[in-house]
Amino acid sequence: MEGCPRNKETYPKLLDLIPQGRQWYQEEKNNTDQEKKLELRLAPPGGDEEGRSAINRKITEIRNSNIKKEAEDKSIFNLSGNHSSPSNKTTFAPHISHKRTAPGPVVGWPPVRSFRKNLASTSSSKLGNESSLGGQVNKSGDGEKQVKPSKREGMFVKINMDSVPIGRKVDLDACSCYEQLSFAVDKLFRGLLAAQRDTSGGEGEEKPIIGLLDGNGEFTLTYEDNEGDKMLVGDVPWDMFISSVKRLRVIKSSEISSALRFGCSKQQKMRT
Amino acid sequence: MNYFPDEVIEHIFDFISSHKDRNSISLVSKSWHKIERCSRKSVFIGNCYAINPERLIQRFPSLRSLTLKGKPHFADFNLVPHEWGGFVHPWIVALAKARVELEELRLKRMVVSDESLELLSRSFASFKSLVLVSCEGFTTDGLASVAANCRHLRELDLQENEIDDHRGQWLNCFPESSTALTSLNFSCLKGETNLAALERLVARSPNLESLKVNRAVPLDALTRLMSCAPQLVDLGVGSYENEPDQESFMKLMAAIKKCTELRSLSGFSEVAPLCLTAFYPICQNLTSLNLSYAAEIQGNHLIRFIQFCKRLQRLWILDSIGDKGLEVVASTCKELQELRVFPSDLHDEEDNDTAVTEIGLVAISAGCPKLHSILYFCKQMTNAALITVAKNCPNFIRFRLCILEPNKPDHTTSQSLDEGFGAIVQACKGLRRLSLSGLLTDKVFLYIGMYAEQLEMLSIAFAGDTDKGMLYVLNGCKKMRKLEIRDSPFGNTALLADVDKYRTMRSLWMSSCEVTLGGCKRLARNAPWLNVEIINENENNDLMMERNEEDEREKVDRLYLYRTVVGARKDAPPCVTIL
Repeated sequence: MEGCPRNKETYPKLLDLIPQGRQWYQEEKNNTDQEKKLELRLAPPGGDEEGRSAINRKITEIRNSNIKKEAEDKSIFNLSGNHSSPSNKTTFAPHISHKRTAPGPVVGWPPVRSFRKNLASTSSSKLGNESSLGGQVNKSGDGEKQVKPSKREGMFVKINMDSVPIGRKVDLDACSCYEQLSFAVDKLFRGLLAAQRDTSGGEGEEKPIIGLLDGNGEFTLTYEDNEGDKMLVGDVPWDMFISSVKRLRVIKSSEISSALRFGCSKQQKMRT
Repeated sequence: MNYFPDEVIEHIFDFISSHKDRNSISLVSKSWHKIERCSRKSVFIGNCYAINPERLIQRFPSLRSLTLKGKPHFADFNLVPHEWGGFVHPWIVALAKARVELEELRLKRMVVSDESLELLSRSFASFKSLVLVSCEGFTTDGLASVAANCRHLRELDLQENEIDDHRGQWLNCFPESSTALTSLNFSCLKGETNLAALERLVARSPNLESLKVNRAVPLDALTRLMSCAPQLVDLGVGSYENEPDQESFMKLMAAIKKCTELRSLSGFSEVAPLCLTAFYPICQNLTSLNLSYAAEIQGNHLIRFIQFCKRLQRLWILDSIGDKGLEVVASTCKELQELRVFPSDLHDEEDNDTAVTEIGLVAISAGCPKLHSILYFCKQMTNAALITVAKNCPNFIRFRLCILEPNKPDHTTSQSLDEGFGAIVQACKGLRRLSLSGLLTDKVFLYIGMYAEQLEMLSIAFAGDTDKGMLYVLNGCKKMRKLEIRDSPFGNTALLADVDKYRTMRSLWMSSCEVTLGGCKRLARNAPWLNVEIINENENNDLMMERNEEDEREKVDRLYLYRTVVGARKDAPPCVTIL
């Protein structure tokens, strides 16, 4: 059992790594490309004037990085901790496992059971979502691959609504036209909106959300396309809409012009 | 040496039911060993590959109840290949052959086939209780044979299994006369349910105390079920997306009011808020509430519901309840012992500002003096909060904290969470299970090794800096049984430092760490009483054998080692190599 904890830092000062780094680099026989990028040389690969400061910054970046998926991170720390033990000279063998050399969705994280993952959202299955940290490796055996957001198998896009703090997701694949999309939006947000408006403690009266597409209702549906532009929903043919839509937003009809001009999502977030 | 005849000693042993205690008894003397083993009715096997069925039966001929666990815990998170193992079939075959009078079988993370269930149902005439948790490999056909052939069946409890629903008539297969059922849980079935068959079954099961239906049981059916089983203590409901009309609502509420014995409520994979209010009349009796599948319920509805649940001891909820909601829990549920807060929104990082934070955790710790078990998913944490929690709740037995983003530091100080977790292990002297997350250095492991004297299970992910971290734990935690580590920089030095330590542990899991094939081979050579399994989904055995010496340095993707008295198992798939 350990005695009193040492007072000094258990991890190395970063600047100390550089001279050791040179030795380590000479020992190394098989550099992969990723390792080459982070070689601790005084002359960085880019060849510009920043020199040492660029390396320090890069090391600080790695140290402060929240995602410890790159193999380089581990090797630097291993080096400092284990440089005295001979068996660890070989810890820097080239990695076979792809998921440790490239950042991306982490398998099995967060640690939530598959059963629960499938229930934990409006969809019945989520595969390869663009912002997913909990991307599941395909286990269901039905052969679906990791799906990019714009493919046709269950196309879920985020949708937010003014004055409702909770975002939802809508399956555009389940809709074949704008009308169906409008119904889906009503279904998703009717209850939420009523809850938001309910101030007296009783059950809020639920009004259907209509007129999303024609400008006649209290709310209007807008979207952000793959170029970042904000547009009214309904102007282009459905197929074209599907191929370019990235997220949706339901805004108050009274604020259409300002919303589309100034980038509504950020504004609304600041207000709520 | 014995002053009493064997029968008297046996009778005394009857009062001792805990597995640990009975195991201790059997070590006292040869004669006690014999008396104990011949009278033992219930055996728990934490790793089905640590022993084989033949030896089990040889030692415990009077076996009535068997609990088996198969896959390692991380299988829950898709880190273990489907075909890894954990087959129950050989066990059932052996028990049947030896004519063991099996009454109870409880399985966790095992592969069960319809064939196994059929054999089970035909081989044990007094079979009473089948509990399957996180199992897979069977269909409703298997359930049909259990229903049809196990005439004395009291308990059929299916929790979170992967079951192929053939939508057959398995519910019709129960005996036509009144059944002995006390507990029926089929909440994990995904298909349609024969409602008429279910209602008839419940009507002829007068002893039914626990009923958990699946999503496909609509409101009116639920109402009828509750009406004919007002004696229910434990109810799991289905999915109620749409608001009920006035009449249905009144009927439901009337039926609920009659269930005065109801203490536990679960299900609700979707529930319109009005449906939830129908349960208000029995809220104050509830001791256990599981609303953790109800992703659609908004925080305010949850809060209104929980406000009435003053006797709650166990609460499973989604993080949409928010800090405000947890504050309500803290002020309402003074009897709370176990809390689990699950993440509701695994993919939309920025949309939900209403999820729980460290504030909710602190509130709970301050308000619930009896709290001893917690599982908490959140997006952020601070050392100060953890230190406060430790001070408020020194009685934790299980403390599992999962900060969703790996390596996330204290969000107010940007430091690691070593001090926070350190405070937890120092204050909670009875801590048996701990899960770590967030930014952590070797220091947290130093604390764990120093203070966590009762710790039996530790889960580590994306933590630590050097082998020292793992060594602190292996050296310090004398009671460690299960250690599971992923994505942490621990390597051969830590793995090999004290091989005998693994004699005292059930198992060790290491994935995406720094251990190499050479290190694992060395371990396997030095510890023949261990099964050292390398799991490599990308390659198969043949390729591995062909490689040359260089590959001793290759990192091992997944390592799972466990003590065993029966050597390497024969049923390993190609992706698993046993060294």
